[in-house]
Amino acid sequence: MLTYADRLQSMRKTKIEHTIAKKKQNGHMDLDDFGTVPIPEGHCVIPWYNSENGSFYGYDGMCENFVRLIDAHEPYIDPMEMLCGRWRDMLVNYRGDLHYMPDWLKNNKKNMEFIQKGATAQWSKRWDEQRFPYDDLKPWQKKYNITTGIDADAHFACDYSIGFALGFGGFLEKIETYRKINPDKQAFYDAEKRCVEAIIRFIERHIKKAEQMILEESRPEMKESLIRMRDVCKNICYEPPKTFHEACQWTAFFNCAARMYTRDGAGYQLDTLLYPFYERDTKAGVLDDETAKFLIANLLLIDPHYYQISGVDEHDVDMTNKLSYLILDAADSINIATNLTVRVHENCDKKFLEKAVYYLLKNKNGWPRFCNDKALCEGYMRNGVDKKTARERIAVGCNWMCVPGKEFPMNDTVKINIAKVFEEAFLEMKEDAEKSVEKLFALYEKHLKKAIEITAAGVNLHIDHVWEVTPELIMNLMMKNTLETGLDISQCAELYTVGVDGSGLAVVADSFGALVTRIEEEKLLSWDDVYEAIGNNFENKRVKAILQSAPRYCQGGTISDAWAIKLTKSWVKLVKAQPMPKGRTLVPGWFSWARSVEYGKTVGATPNGRSAGEPLSHGANPNPHFRTDGAVTAQANGIASVQCGYGNTAPLQLEFDPNISIENGGVEIVLNLILTHFKQGGTLININVLDGEKLRAAHENPDLYPDLVVRVTGFTAYFATLTPAFRQLVVDRFLEGM
Amino acid sequence: MLSNAKKGLIADIQRASLHDGDGIRTTVFFKGCPLKCAWCHNPECISFEPEMMHYPEKCIGCGMCEEGCFSGAKVICGTEMTATELFLQIRQDKDYFMQNGGVTFSGGEPMAQKEFLLQILDLCRAEGISCAIETSMIYFDAEIFQKLDFVMADFKIWDTKIHQEYTGVGNEKIKDNFMSLNQLNIPIIARTPVIPGIEQEIPKISAFLKTLDSVKRYELLPYHPLGKQKRDALGITQEAFSVPDKEYLKELQQYAYIR
Repeated sequence: MLTYADRLQSMRKTKIEHTIAKKKQNGHMDLDDFGTVPIPEGHCVIPWYNSENGSFYGYDGMCENFVRLIDAHEPYIDPMEMLCGRWRDMLVNYRGDLHYMPDWLKNNKKNMEFIQKGATAQWSKRWDEQRFPYDDLKPWQKKYNITTGIDADAHFACDYSIGFALGFGGFLEKIETYRKINPDKQAFYDAEKRCVEAIIRFIERHIKKAEQMILEESRPEMKESLIRMRDVCKNICYEPPKTFHEACQWTAFFNCAARMYTRDGAGYQLDTLLYPFYERDTKAGVLDDETAKFLIANLLLIDPHYYQISGVDEHDVDMTNKLSYLILDAADSINIATNLTVRVHENCDKKFLEKAVYYLLKNKNGWPRFCNDKALCEGYMRNGVDKKTARERIAVGCNWMCVPGKEFPMNDTVKINIAKVFEEAFLEMKEDAEKSVEKLFALYEKHLKKAIEITAAGVNLHIDHVWEVTPELIMNLMMKNTLETGLDISQCAELYTVGVDGSGLAVVADSFGALVTRIEEEKLLSWDDVYEAIGNNFENKRVKAILQSAPRYCQGGTISDAWAIKLTKSWVKLVKAQPMPKGRTLVPGWFSWARSVEYGKTVGATPNGRSAGEPLSHGANPNPHFRTDGAVTAQANGIASVQCGYGNTAPLQLEFDPNISIENGGVEIVLNLILTHFKQGGTLININVLDGEKLRAAHENPDLYPDLVVRVTGFTAYFATLTPAFRQLVVDRFLEGM
Repeated sequence: MLSNAKKGLIADIQRASLHDGDGIRTTVFFKGCPLKCAWCHNPECISFEPEMMHYPEKCIGCGMCEEGCFSGAKVICGTEMTATELFLQIRQDKDYFMQNGGVTFSGGEPMAQKEFLLQILDLCRAEGISCAIETSMIYFDAEIFQKLDFVMADFKIWDTKIHQEYTGVGNEKIKDNFMSLNQLNIPIIARTPVIPGIEQEIPKISAFLKTLDSVKRYELLPYHPLGKQKRDALGITQEAFSVPDKEYLKELQQYAYIR
C-alpha cells in the first residue's frame, strides 16, 4: 500500500526529472520554474496570424490562438498525484519575436517555418506597433534603460472567490447574461466564451485520459485514486467546486489555462479562501488532515504561484487558521520551489510565525518568504485607498502586491535603471568647468524627471491600448466589472496604482558617496582623475581602489547610507509628482527583478569603482562585499531606511548561512531578524537560508544538485537551471555567517 | 598599556554575531592582551599597538604604498575610538538585540583597557543594551564585572607551568579571579579551547568550575585554524596545532555542562 509519503517522494523524483529535461530543452533560464512539464515529442501549434506584421492581437487573435494552444495540450495525469493538469507552452511564444522564443520552439522546424513565414523583422511582435507606435519614446527609453511595461501582460491578480462561486459553467452563463445587456460587445463575449469552452474541453480530455488509465491500472489504490480524480474533474467541468479536493483541482485547471495564455496569473490568500471547503469537508468526515496536506502539496507542485498565508483582516484580526499550518506542513512534505508568502502583523499567531521560520531553516529551500502588513497596508493607503481595500492587497507576485479582482498595477513590469540616469548626468557635467556633487545631483534629478515622464507615457500607452493587443481573456473571468461591462480589465479596473521600480540604488548611492568622500572631502582625487578613470574603464587600478574603498551603503551611518536615503526621497518625490490621467497614479518601489545582470551591461564604469558592464546592485540591496562581516543586521537597517512608503516594496534580499542550528535557537534569531526589520518599516523579505558549502559546490557542478532551490529575487528557481552569471550573483550576495 | 587612555584601541567590530553569547550581538574586539596564547585565533588582538596587516594577493602593484593603500593589501589593525564613537556603532543594531542579544566586548583582553571599558559599559547600560565580555580572567575588577549581564571566561590549562608555557602567564591569578567572580553572583559561561597535544587536564578544570555556583555553563571550544590567515598577514609564524578529531571531542564532552 503506497502511503502519501511514498507518493510525494515519487512526485519529487518526477519533478527533478522534469527539471533536468527542461534544462535540456530550454537551456539556462533565469526565471521562475512555473511548474511546466517538458514539451512532448510531436507537440506542434500552428498559430493564426491576424496582423500584417506577422503576429496576432485583439480578442479574435488572442482567442483563436489560445484555443489552438490549449487544444494542443495533451492531458497530464500522474497516478501518484491526486490533482491533474499541467501546462507546457504559452501563447506569447508564437507572437513571432525570436528573442522571446524558447529553444525547443526554435528547434522545431515545422513551427519555425510557419512562424518565420508570417513574421517580419520590422516591428516588435508582442506589441502592435503598426497601430500603436511609440517611436518618439524609444530613444529616451534606451537612453535611460527603461523597462517600459509596454506589451507586458498580466501582473495583476484574480479574485478566485468569483470562480469558486461560478465554476466554468457559471462563467458561460454570466457571459450570456451580460452579452444581452451589452450588445455592442459581441467580439469580447465571443472570445471569452470560446476560451471558457476550450478550458472545459481541456478538462474533458483529462476525464477521458483518466478513464483510459483506470482501465489499465492494476494497483487498487492507484485505481481508486484515478477514479477519484476522474470524478472530481467531472464535477468541476461545469459546476463550481464544492469540496476541498474540487477547489484545489479547479484552481489547478484555471491556473494551467491562465499560464498557457501568456504565463498569466497569480495566486491568492490560500488559507482563508480554501478554509470554508476544508471546514465543510472535515466536519462532514470526507476529508482528513493528511489528505488535505497532500492535496495542497500537489497544488504547490503543479504551479509555484505566489500564495499568501496568514495576516489579518480589515479589523486587524488574525486570519491564521488550521489550514495555514497545514499549508506549511504540505510545503514541507513536497519541499520544492514554492512561493509562499507569510503575511506578518503584530496580531498574527506567533507560533505560526515560528513554524514558518522553522521550515525556512529546516529545508533551506528559500520558502517561505515574509511580507510586512503594517508598512504595506499603511503605505498603500497613502495612495488614497481605504483600509479595507488596502488589507485586501496581498502578496501575489515576485516583489509585488495586488488587490485581487480590482487592481491593474502592472507591478514588476516597469523599471528605470537609475544607474543609467546617473551616467547621463555624470556625462553631462563633464564639459562643465565648475563641477560639484551638488551640481551632479541636480543634473541627476533633471534626467530622472525626464525618465519618469517617458516611463509614464509608456505606461499610459499600454493601459490605453493593451485591450486591443493582449486582452486578458482568461483572467478577465475572475475580475470585477469585466464580464459585467464587456470590457477588458485594463479598461475597467477599480484601481490603477501602477508600480514603477528603480534599479541600481546601491551603485548610485555608493557613487555619490565616493565622489563626496574622495574628491570633495579628502581631495584624494580630482574630478579629472575620476572622469579619466571612468572614461578608460579604470586602467588606473589605484583610482578604482580608492573609489571602491570609500564608505558604502549598508555599512551603517556612512555618507553612502545618507545618499541612499536622499536618493529614495528624490525618487519618491519625482514619481509621485508625475501627473497621470484617468485616475491612474504611479507607485514607487526599489526592485530590479532578475535584470541586474542585463541592466549592468548597459552602464559604463561608475564612480563606486564598478567596472563597465558589471551587474548592478540588486533591488534595494547593497553592493556585494559591503562589509567584511557581511552583517545581515547592517543590510536590514540600510534597506529599512530606503522604503518608498506607498505600499510597494524595497525588498530585503537575503542569502545567508546563519551557522546556527534550530536546536541552538536559530528559529528565534531569524524570527527576531524578520520582526525587527518589519518594525523598522521593511516591506518584504526574500530570504534564502543556505548551506554555504553546498551553494559553492552547486555553482561548480550545478547538474549534481538538480533539486537545490534558491530564491533568485522574489521568485524561487532551481539553481541548476540558472545561467552561470546569475548563479554567480546569488553566490556573491551570499553572506557567510551572521 | 592603554589602561588610562581616554580612547580605546579597537581591532574590529563584528555585527550580527551569533557565537559570542546569546541572541544577536555586536562583538567589539579590543586590541591588546597580556596573554600570548600559542594557538590564539585573534593574533591581531595581542599587541597593544596598531599593526599593519599584509595581504599581498590583494596588491595592485601601484607602487604608491607610502601614500596609502586602498586595495586592501595593507590594512592597519587598530583604530583609536572614543567611547561615544564606539557606542554609536553598537547602537546601530540595538533594535536587533531584543531580549537576549546585546554587545560582547572581546579581544584581546577588554579588561586591559579598563577606563575605556567602563565608559562604554556605562553608555550601553544607559541605553538598555545588555553587556557581556569574553575574558582570559587575568584581571579581576568588581566595578567592571558588576556592570555586566554575564561573563564568558576562559580557563585554558589546569597546570600553571603548562599554562605559563603556552600563554606566557601562570594561572594562579586566574583561579583566584574565578573564585572572586563567583562571589559576585554574575552568570559565568566558562570555556576551554580544546587544543590537541597540550595537557590541559580538562576533567580537573571541569571539577573546579563545578564548585563555583555562578558558572552556569561550561563549554569546550575546539581549536580551529582560522587565525592562520591573520598570522600570515602579521608575519608571525605559528606553532602547529591540529583540529581535535570528533572522537576526542566526544570523549571530552562529558565534562561540559549546563546548569
